[in-house]
Parts: sequence; C-alpha cells; structure tokens
Amino acid sequence: MNDTELDRLLNTWQAPAPPRTLREGLRARFPRAERRKFTRPLRWGLAIALATATLAIGMDQIGASPWDFRMERVLNHVSHLARGLMEFFEPRIALSIVKQIQQSDPKVYVDGQLGAPLEYGGAATMNVKVPGDGVYSIISYPMASHQADGRPTGWVEAGRIHGNAIEFQLGSKRVRIVCNQAIVNVDRPVYAMRRP
Amino acid sequence: MGKAPEDLLRDSRRGKEAPFVRLFDDHHLPLFRFAWRLTGSMADAEDIVQECFLGLLRAECGFDPARTAIRTYLFGAVRNQALKRLRRREQGEAAEGIDHHTPEAEALRGEMAGAVGNAIAGLPETQREVLLLAHYEQLSLEEIAEITELEVTAVKSRLQRARATLREVLAAYAPETERTI
Repeated sequence: MNDTELDRLLNTWQAPAPPRTLREGLRARFPRAERRKFTRPLRWGLAIALATATLAIGMDQIGASPWDFRMERVLNHVSHLARGLMEFFEPRIALSIVKQIQQSDPKVYVDGQLGAPLEYGGAATMNVKVPGDGVYSIISYPMASHQADGRPTGWVEAGRIHGNAIEFQLGSKRVRIVCNQAIVNVDRPVYAMRRP
Repeated sequence: MGKAPEDLLRDSRRGKEAPFVRLFDDHHLPLFRFAWRLTGSMADAEDIVQECFLGLLRAECGFDPARTAIRTYLFGAVRNQALKRLRRREQGEAAEGIDHHTPEAEALRGEMAGAVGNAIAGLPETQREVLLLAHYEQLSLEEIAEITELEVTAVKSRLQRARATLREVLAAYAPETERTI
C-alpha cells in the first residue's frame, strides 16, 4: 500500500459533526459580567434628564435664572453638575465592584506569593494583609490625598483595576488580586491607605 | 477585517460573550474532531472542548499570545484533557479503552471506516496523537512538536511508525486486495 492509498483509506474515518449542545452549553457556562439594567437609549435619556434637573436646581439655589446662559455661569454650573453626578454615581460603582469581587473568588498575591484572603470593610473598602508591612485598605472610589487644611489623608492612588485583576504597589510590595471573572469593563484607578 | 484572536480573548475576559463565541466558532471544529478521535466519545469530546475554551478565561490560564498561536495552545489543551480522561478510564472500574462503537459512531461509518478507526485506536498513544494531528488536522510537524512537547525529529519518527503500523494492520483493505477478493 503506497502513501496515497493509505491516506485515502484513513480518510474514510470521518468524525461526526459536533452536537448543538456544544455551543449552547459553552454559552450557558460563560461567566458574564453583571448585565446592565437599562438599554443604552434609556440610560442616555436618564442621564440627560438628571443633568437638566440638577442644572435647574443648582441655578435656582444661587438665585440665577435657569435661562441665564452667560459663559462663566454656565461653566460654573456644568462643573458643579459634573461633581454632583460623580458624587452620586462613584460610590455606587465602587460598591458594585466590591460585590462583583466577592462573587469572583478573589485570590491575593503579594510579590507573586499567595497571601491572606481579602477582607471586606465598610463603604466599599477592602483590606489586604501585606506580610511584614501591615494591613492596607483599598477602594476603587477616588479618594482625596489631602484634607481641606492640607494634612494628608493617607490615601494614595496605588494602581489599577482591569479585566479580572486589581494590581497595585504598596511600598516595596507588589499586590495582585485575581478574580475568576471580569469585574470591570473599563480600567479604573485603585486607592490605598495603610491602616494605623 | 476581523479581530485577532488575542483581541477577542481580551474582550472575552472582560465579560463580553460575543467575542468569546466568535473565538469558539473560529476554532472549535478541528478541536472537537481531535478530541473525539482521541477519546472515541461524543460526550467526552464535548466536555473537553468546552473546558478548554472556558479555561482561556481563567486567571491561571497559561496562554501567552507572544509565544504560542491560540490554535496550537488549544490543541495542546485538548490533548492534555483527553489524555487525562484516557488515563482515568484505564485506571477506572470499566477499563473500557477507546470505544468507537457507540451507536452514533457506528451509524456514521461503514466497515472500512470502522476498521480504520479501530486500527488507529490500537496505535500506542504517542503515535496516535501525532497521526491524528498530522493526517486529519493537517498540522505542520513544528506545530505538532509544540503541542506534544517533543522534538520535530521525534514527531517525524512517530508519524512514520504510526503509518507503517497502519499499513500492515489495514493491508486487507488495500485496493489490490479488494480487487482479488
């Protein structure tokens, strides 16, 4: 039997087509990120309505007409509005990220070594034990580094959350928290503070 | 132009299902065939392929697009999973070996195809996987070497030995023999 004849013979043994359940089963097992509750147009509509209402209320409070469109005033109010929206949404986003992390079997690695499990504090904070250094609180909510009187708060931007991981540097230690599914769709900063 | 597999995988890891399904659609057929030919079981092949794709999403996944093509990585993952199952089967209560005689498999082939399947199932594991990847999936010797973690020369010699054995075992089905019967 020559090579061509053997090849022809081997080709008679055909594999069956994969069952439909292969694709469906895989889709069913796919670890989805938390589904958004609103469709995109609805979310945009809600954001615009909220922005308009906040602008009107803000202008009313400082005694200006909502129809006073002088540039300085408008910029001032837009900036107030942006701050207000951020203060409204950011804590909620930070809380939902913590909830997502809790459901994703997070593993903490300090300089590549598996560390103590993550602990959950109040107000969307999580605590990381760093051997030989102490305990650090981390949060994905933007924390001010200084108080109004100029004293440091202790919070510093230490790293990023991306995909299924949180990575940051604390002193000389590199910390990586790895989850078994995606926890954010867009990269976000992480803030850390050494606990007293 | 379509997205590169690495981009699809990155998006999949961010929880997006569509790129993951696209990745699956692009690669699952040869992987399923390979898993089925190695294990002889539709259920095992289905399980193995699903596990390999889901494994890509796990944090501990060792896939590095800078070092390996995703196709090669997935073939390697299917091979490892299939070998694990075969070992378990060998040690298990049934010790049934590869069963290419399931009703759905029998319905799919005639006597000659059945003989080929059995002849391949009878090859040593190390030769069988090389033959399946080279003949049925048309992978290059270099790719097979990467998947099986062997030298190219070792792959080549295993392939030659596998083909020599099959030539002997299947001699009765050679065209000349058929004509004389």
